[in-house]
Amino acid sequence: MSLLDRTQPPASGEIRQFDFPEVQTGALSNGLDLKICVLPRLPIVSVNLFLRAGEGSLVEGRAGTAVLTGDALEGGTLKRNGSSLAEALEGIGARLGVSTGWEGTSISVSVLADRLPEAFALLAEVTLEPDFPSVEVDRVREQQLAEIRQRSMDPSALASDEVSRRFYAEGLPYARPQVGTESSISSVTRDQIRGYAEACYRPGSGGLIIVGDVDPEQIKSLSSEYFGSWIGAPSAVDNFRVDAQTRERRVWILDRPGSVQSEVRLGHVGVARTTPNYLPLSIGNLLLGGTFTSRLNLNLRERNGFTYGVRSRFSFRSQPGPFQVSTAVGNEVTASAVREILSELESLVVDGVTREEVDAARDYAAGVFGLHLETAGQIASRLNQILVYGLPDDYYHLYRDNIRSVSTEEVTSAVKAHIRPDEVQVVIVGDAESISGSVDALGLGPLEVV
Amino acid sequence: MNQLAIPLERHCLDNGLKIVLSQDSTVPIVAVNIWYGVGSRNELPGHTGFAHLFEHMMFQGSKHVPKNKHFELIERAGGTLNATTWFDRTNYFETVPSRDLELALWLESDRMGWMLPAMDQEKLDNQRDVVKNEKRQRYDNQPYGDWDQRLQALIYPKDHPYHHPVIGSVEDLDAATLEDVAAFFGTYYVPNNAVLTIAGDFDESQVMDLVQRYFGEIEAGAPIPPLPGDSCLEPIIGDTVREHVFAEVPLARVIMGFRIPPYSSEDFAVAEVSRALLGMGRASRLYRALVRERRVAKGVVTYAFPLLTNASMLLTWATGYPDSTPEQLEAALTEEIEALVEARQSEVDRAIALTETDLVRALEHVGERANLLSMFDLYFDDPDRLNHEIDRLRAVTVEQIRDFAASQLGSDNRAVLVYEPKRKS
Repeated sequence: MSLLDRTQPPASGEIRQFDFPEVQTGALSNGLDLKICVLPRLPIVSVNLFLRAGEGSLVEGRAGTAVLTGDALEGGTLKRNGSSLAEALEGIGARLGVSTGWEGTSISVSVLADRLPEAFALLAEVTLEPDFPSVEVDRVREQQLAEIRQRSMDPSALASDEVSRRFYAEGLPYARPQVGTESSISSVTRDQIRGYAEACYRPGSGGLIIVGDVDPEQIKSLSSEYFGSWIGAPSAVDNFRVDAQTRERRVWILDRPGSVQSEVRLGHVGVARTTPNYLPLSIGNLLLGGTFTSRLNLNLRERNGFTYGVRSRFSFRSQPGPFQVSTAVGNEVTASAVREILSELESLVVDGVTREEVDAARDYAAGVFGLHLETAGQIASRLNQILVYGLPDDYYHLYRDNIRSVSTEEVTSAVKAHIRPDEVQVVIVGDAESISGSVDALGLGPLEVV
Repeated sequence: MNQLAIPLERHCLDNGLKIVLSQDSTVPIVAVNIWYGVGSRNELPGHTGFAHLFEHMMFQGSKHVPKNKHFELIERAGGTLNATTWFDRTNYFETVPSRDLELALWLESDRMGWMLPAMDQEKLDNQRDVVKNEKRQRYDNQPYGDWDQRLQALIYPKDHPYHHPVIGSVEDLDAATLEDVAAFFGTYYVPNNAVLTIAGDFDESQVMDLVQRYFGEIEAGAPIPPLPGDSCLEPIIGDTVREHVFAEVPLARVIMGFRIPPYSSEDFAVAEVSRALLGMGRASRLYRALVRERRVAKGVVTYAFPLLTNASMLLTWATGYPDSTPEQLEAALTEEIEALVEARQSEVDRAIALTETDLVRALEHVGERANLLSMFDLYFDDPDRLNHEIDRLRAVTVEQIRDFAASQLGSDNRAVLVYEPKRKS
């Protein structure tokens, strides 16, 4: 006999008001944005230097240059070789990371607060005085080529590359893998890498973000000391308009004989980060396939047991990135899974969404936002979004209120506008012999085994 | 850096449930984390993979929580949740806005006390399918996906509980019944085999009343039965054991494993620091030698697994370039690992500095704090060990590392697993 009434979930307590932490914004005279956020909880600091040196501004023959340049930064500086650089950084417990995307390159350092001045000096040295010795450039190029070979046998990586190829018109940056292709990478020379860094590692339209247990005055003086005399703006800019490869629904099976599972991707070109529909569309995606209790996951995993999990996602980029549903399913249920995904998309755009679903997704988005404000790195990455996409400075201060005010009608109209079941490209990486017959029998459109 | 001072408080309910509390109201979120002292090491022959399958069943509802409601309520609150199964333990955790602490306690207590009334064959069959798909996705359909199974079999003898992989075999998963679910629950999912940690923003004056209200009436279980099989084993393998696999893999990879002292042994700290010298960061020995200087490997990976049952394992792997041979990779790994007998103090200092940064970064998350506190309480009856982790590693001397390299990382304690791309005919 239970003493407590367990039959109803306990009610939530009072909501505790919590704001996005205060950010001091400014700029150096060279145009480098400066964002400082004091977070004194633990003695740690995240520094993130964003430069507008991304893969999106490269022509096809040079694809991969931005990524390789970023990777080769660890190869050494004018003052020390690669091993000595690693020792200098790690000797003070600093973690250096370089990540290169379509829009730019982020060079970041995490370090305990008492070692920040040394870390700052090293960050500046890596960025402003890279050496790119040939032996290290050769190495990172070989590593990238080996990585491409590795991806060529990884079903999930194969599916991602196939999505890019089938969604986007040929020749567009988004039609190729972000790291470049075997042929473009093979041809990148050391001189091109040095030239790229010289031209694009420039302060204009970039930013420096510092979050953690810091003194803002000290940060300002360190920033001027190390980055103040740096000048210029990146020479290359994104200059392309996105087009779909086709508006016709088609099925692509990338044959991977012997696969015991099919990697399934289903979608089309999505929308840019700057779309006014960003919030309603994000809510629509959450309830479609962005949470565990989304329509897709409850259907494919919890009702049918087809998969370990299924997600849907809009990749919001400066230009329209892909919208896609992704999952991995057993060979024998591949066709059924594709049919279920497509019927979920159809009913979403035909019938729209319900108020209950929107309430749940909004509550999730507003609540989970607070869970991602814990660490210096999380806050730095939010501030980086503001920089990259030119969002207003108070964007995250208003985020929760804006999420809560999204209406059911707005979500319905956003998903109707941006999800088009008739135009999806169905991409499957799997054993063609065992799946192509049943997938073709769905009659979705022309099927090609590649 | 000054000594870490993560605050904590310990309690124990009459039914044996251990509680760790760690308050921090900087951000209005709270982590609830439970470690049960059961994992794949407790599985009987013919039941491999069951501990993990059971973990899935824990999300299928309980007496007062309908199927899918667990996920729905936590997501509605704006929380995140998950669970993982490993050799020695299974953990369940959620982080929620602090106003929903009570919801998390209700959900966790309901499945700890009243899981079985909600079980049925349909749920078992559904989750068995989900787990089989997980196995396909993460192991069977992945290049090198079966490495852990093969390496464990080389390092641990057949009767040892770490001989078999956590994911188990399809045949054993197929054989699992509802009776097995009930027996496993009754034996291992008892409050006296669990630690509950609450970390983050909560009201210190009320939290124990809540814990008592939700967990207090769950009955204690019997003492936990001894481990199946025979977990006695020698501290070293005694030889170089090897397996050479020709498989559908893109690049040659050599995985080298060693039997090392268990996590519960004081010597484990020596293994941890040794592994950091070998593979943590880009100034580490293996990265420097194999990746940067000799360029035989495109990447290296190292781990020291924190396992409890008489011996743990340290492993390293090197993945080659298209023209690297497994022999080159093996020779380079062997040479660099053996050279650790000449470890230097500056390397130890570097490893400690990096470890410190990594630990502080991990502790920025209340979820990670809670997870570590649960682990230290369950494994060592000492959650405060978290505040002394760095001291424990800092106490390791360069002589201990040299001795460790000589006694544990030599040819008489080496498991070599080679993956070589299948030759196309």
